[in-house]
Amino acid sequence: MKKLFATSILMCIFALGGMAQPKADVYVEYDYTHPDERGIVKKDKMTLLASPEQSKFFNETSLWADSLQSTPGGKAKYREILSKSCTMTMPDGSVVVDLSKGPSKVIYTYIFTDPAKETVTVYDQYGIEDNSYYTEPIGEIRWSIAEDSVKNILGYDCILGETDYHGRHWKAWFAPELSLPYGPWKLRGLPGIVLAAETTNGFSFTATVLGKTDRTMSPMYFAQKYPKRDRKKAQKDFETFINNFHAMIEAQSGGRVTAGWTDIDGNPIEPIKFKAETHCIETDYNK
Amino acid sequence: MLRFVFHIACLLVALGATAQIHINGKVMDSEKVKPLAGASMMLRGADGKIKKFASSKSDGSFDMTAPDLKNCRLEVSMMSFAKQSISLDSASLPITVYLEPQQTVLKEVTVKAKKILEQGDTIVYNVGSFAQDHDRSIGDVLKRMPGINVEESGKIKYQGEDINKFYIEGSDLLGGKYGIATNGINHDDVGSVEVMENHQPMQVLTGIAFSDKAAINLKLKKKAKATWNYHGKAGGGYSWQPDGALWEGELFAMTIMSGFQNMTTIKTNNTGENPGRDLTNFFASHRSTTLDRSVSLSLPDVPDLQSRRTLFNRSAIVSTNNLWKFGRGELKAQFDYKFNRASADAANITTYFTPEAEAGTTTGNRTVVETESGRELSHSLGTMLVYELNQKTAYINNSFQGNITWNDMRMSVTGSLPNSQTASLPDYYAGNEFKIIKRFKEKHLVTFRSKIEWESMPQTLSVYSSDLPADRITQSIRDHAFYTRESAAYTFAFKGISVSMEAGIKGYLRTFSSELPELPEAIPGMTTNVVNTDYFTVFATPKAEYWIKKVDLSLELPVNFTTYHFNKSLADRSGFYFSPTLSMNWKPSNRFSMNLRGGTGRRPMDLSMIQPGFVMTNYRSFRRGTDNFYNSTSQNVSAHFSYKHTNLGLFGNAFVSQSWTHLPYTMSQQLYGDYVVSSYASARSDSRRFIANADIGKTLNFLRANINIYGFFSRSESLLLSENQDVNSIVTSWAAGGKFGGKPLRWLGFDYKFSLSSNRLTMNSSKASWLSCMKNELLINIMPHRKWEWHISGEHYRNEISEHSYKNAFLIDTTVRFKMTKRIELSAMLSNILNLRSYNYITYSQLSSFESRRQMRGRELLFTVSIRK
Repeated sequence: MKKLFATSILMCIFALGGMAQPKADVYVEYDYTHPDERGIVKKDKMTLLASPEQSKFFNETSLWADSLQSTPGGKAKYREILSKSCTMTMPDGSVVVDLSKGPSKVIYTYIFTDPAKETVTVYDQYGIEDNSYYTEPIGEIRWSIAEDSVKNILGYDCILGETDYHGRHWKAWFAPELSLPYGPWKLRGLPGIVLAAETTNGFSFTATVLGKTDRTMSPMYFAQKYPKRDRKKAQKDFETFINNFHAMIEAQSGGRVTAGWTDIDGNPIEPIKFKAETHCIETDYNK
Repeated sequence: MLRFVFHIACLLVALGATAQIHINGKVMDSEKVKPLAGASMMLRGADGKIKKFASSKSDGSFDMTAPDLKNCRLEVSMMSFAKQSISLDSASLPITVYLEPQQTVLKEVTVKAKKILEQGDTIVYNVGSFAQDHDRSIGDVLKRMPGINVEESGKIKYQGEDINKFYIEGSDLLGGKYGIATNGINHDDVGSVEVMENHQPMQVLTGIAFSDKAAINLKLKKKAKATWNYHGKAGGGYSWQPDGALWEGELFAMTIMSGFQNMTTIKTNNTGENPGRDLTNFFASHRSTTLDRSVSLSLPDVPDLQSRRTLFNRSAIVSTNNLWKFGRGELKAQFDYKFNRASADAANITTYFTPEAEAGTTTGNRTVVETESGRELSHSLGTMLVYELNQKTAYINNSFQGNITWNDMRMSVTGSLPNSQTASLPDYYAGNEFKIIKRFKEKHLVTFRSKIEWESMPQTLSVYSSDLPADRITQSIRDHAFYTRESAAYTFAFKGISVSMEAGIKGYLRTFSSELPELPEAIPGMTTNVVNTDYFTVFATPKAEYWIKKVDLSLELPVNFTTYHFNKSLADRSGFYFSPTLSMNWKPSNRFSMNLRGGTGRRPMDLSMIQPGFVMTNYRSFRRGTDNFYNSTSQNVSAHFSYKHTNLGLFGNAFVSQSWTHLPYTMSQQLYGDYVVSSYASARSDSRRFIANADIGKTLNFLRANINIYGFFSRSESLLLSENQDVNSIVTSWAAGGKFGGKPLRWLGFDYKFSLSSNRLTMNSSKASWLSCMKNELLINIMPHRKWEWHISGEHYRNEISEHSYKNAFLIDTTVRFKMTKRIELSAMLSNILNLRSYNYITYSQLSSFESRRQMRGRELLFTVSIRK
């Protein structure tokens, strides 16, 4: 009887686990090209996991870091790895943390698209430890299709769709054969997965790998630490943070820590003026 | 009027409204009978074009409008469901579409990263594009990359030139001992190999001193960074020759973090692989103590067979290499131990050419027939401690190196002169080099350098033979040297032009003594040496460099004044020496570069030649030095060209050089019965050498293959004295070959190598015949299943022992691997399946030919378990 009870409990746990962790059918890896705050063109790897029920767009290293930190033991392990790989002591005794040296979380964006709820939920960071999320209605984007513009991407014939979305004009190539209404970033609503997209100022997504998968689409780690915020306000706050980066860091540390910008070679440079048109993928928050 | 306009407007709106037809309905999962959200709806017109599209909402509903539905179709699709296409001519709206679950087959496609990418002066090779299933280490993959050449010794060249640095994640952990990395790091842990052309390792010299050398940097995959990576293997088996058990073991551990790096390797085997090769320092400069072994006792080797076929060994190495970063500087500590016990059995026929010998015959030549059985036992301990600060305005480097080697040999010879020999040949070395460079205001550089070296090389050789007067001769040699070099330099650099002057002193103290109790009766001469060869030098090296955009011109004018002290063995001397060099590098584009170099100079002779008495080098060879002091002159010119087109995966380089040497002495060789005596005699001796080689590599994307072709030609002419007569000898040799490797199918890979070489010795216009050597190697790797791998390889040698007389040898090996899990792999290897046990060959030196019959390793069966993280 006890055995049966235990088995039932276990089965329930597994069933609940199965419910909580839906599996993806398709994964797509994208090269995300964008200018960083210093104007340097950067290329980051992003991943889209998609199933008819939902999609999740994220950076693998960030997911690995969050997943590792979600357990107490993993948190310690992650700290150990980071401190070993990113911390350097300078000759004057000061400590420099260069996050580019290790597997640190530098892209905080997670985007979940849920057709059943008809929402897109974006989790991101807008300053030091300043996490928040916002939602958008799934049908917000109005696409027009230029069916004569066809491009073959990863062996799939893709059709061009165009839209004006949050301040930029986007061109996106979607594959009707992959009939799921998702894409990189928040681009959704086309009758096929978007495999390439581009807009002005050097922002673009290009699929590099596509395949079947049975990976679980874990929900957002530490979702309780992300309060809801208005999108435009969050983006304005981020601009304020970048433009007052030094002062905020110094104030937070009581003057013990100084912060500054460096060029790609590590040489100090003048503070950067963050501008929506140049640096942000969405520009409408200032309008 | 206004009313009329209002009516017309209402009518138009009504017409417009009636012109739009609503296509609405619901999408349902036919199996679960529940609404499907996110399904794609496309309304296609009669021409098949998309007129409208939409996605179903959370309740499965959809709604589109279109002006006309004639001949239109509604396509409803969703991944994991079968697509439906419904004609709207006969459909009643709203429509409910039931989608049936269906497996969706995806074209699983990956856009492969470019095989080779060019980023300014850096060439990035994608490791995954060149790796094959049977590759294990990153060294296996480097061999396939066009433009990169890995020599048999493990030395890496890029476009025909030695590399000047080997980095892992931008850090120089190993210095020149990069064989530890190339043979240890699993290729699966490396994402890309970067070649940095014109790499200047000292940041302080950036923009001032041009470098024509390239550096290699291994970029690790994320999974291999900031963690410990390790792998190991253990194997055991049986060998048919030598008859007995086989073993091999290996452990490799590595961590690459920003503050600390470590690479440790332990290897042992008796399978013919020489692990000591991994510890070769390819960046080591020649020791300034310039001690050479007088005793030349060595096991006979085979020039054309892979050493693993002929090396009867028991070997082990332990090496640990550490790097700590302290602020902007770094400290490196390397410790190595190697042990090698090698034995060899051979039958040798040595023919000494004499000038009266007629061309094509052996009349007048001397022939010695002997069989040799030898064993060499060596232990070597080495350490290197380096501190380096490498910044844009300052450079500091202090390197300490210590090395102790014990080498004991035992040889038994039967034949013309039956005997046995034992030798103890230890070597003790310690050296320290310090260098500091400071850059002021961009334009001014001040450099201080200090180098100190000490070396001791005692040697003992004993020969036991019933033909000797006391049945035994024991020779003891003591050879010690101390060297120091101290200098300061100033450089002024402005707009691409730099002028520098280095000045300093050098001091050298060497004591050499040897004693032979007696000589064979036939040989007249002194049996003892007590020699000092000390010198003191004051030197200056003015240098001018012009480096603007595509051209670098550099002129060096080193001059020195040296006084020599020989402690009465010779009269003390002094002299001026001047050896200018001029070089030019022209790089008109990123694809092409050319390097021209020329030099001339006067140099003192090798001081180890000052040795008035006899030294026994082995049981039948004696060497006497010179009782005079000589200077030599030389000139050389060379040109190096390289071309690359990374998009096409095409790399090519060519090198041509000519050198002339003028010596006021010549080497002389005299035969006394079966004994050979070498000495030097005053006579004008001119020699010249021409070398040309070319190498072309190309990727062949359609076969996922790479091809490489090379050619080499050399001609050297020199004058020697043999039996008191002039012998003008010319050695001409050429070689050509190529390699071709690829993976045309997912389950099939191959590597093929071909080489053909030939050489000829000409003495006093009588030409010996060309003797050629051909070698074919083919490896085929088959993966019938992702867990199973089978490779079969064959080697074919066709060596010309004498004119039109060829010796063929076939060797076949096979290996089966089973990948039990991601971490564990089992393998069984059967090598030399045909059980070939001996190999014959013939080689020429300047005054002799040497024919050898050597034993080979027979058939071997080895089972191995490999484990990796």
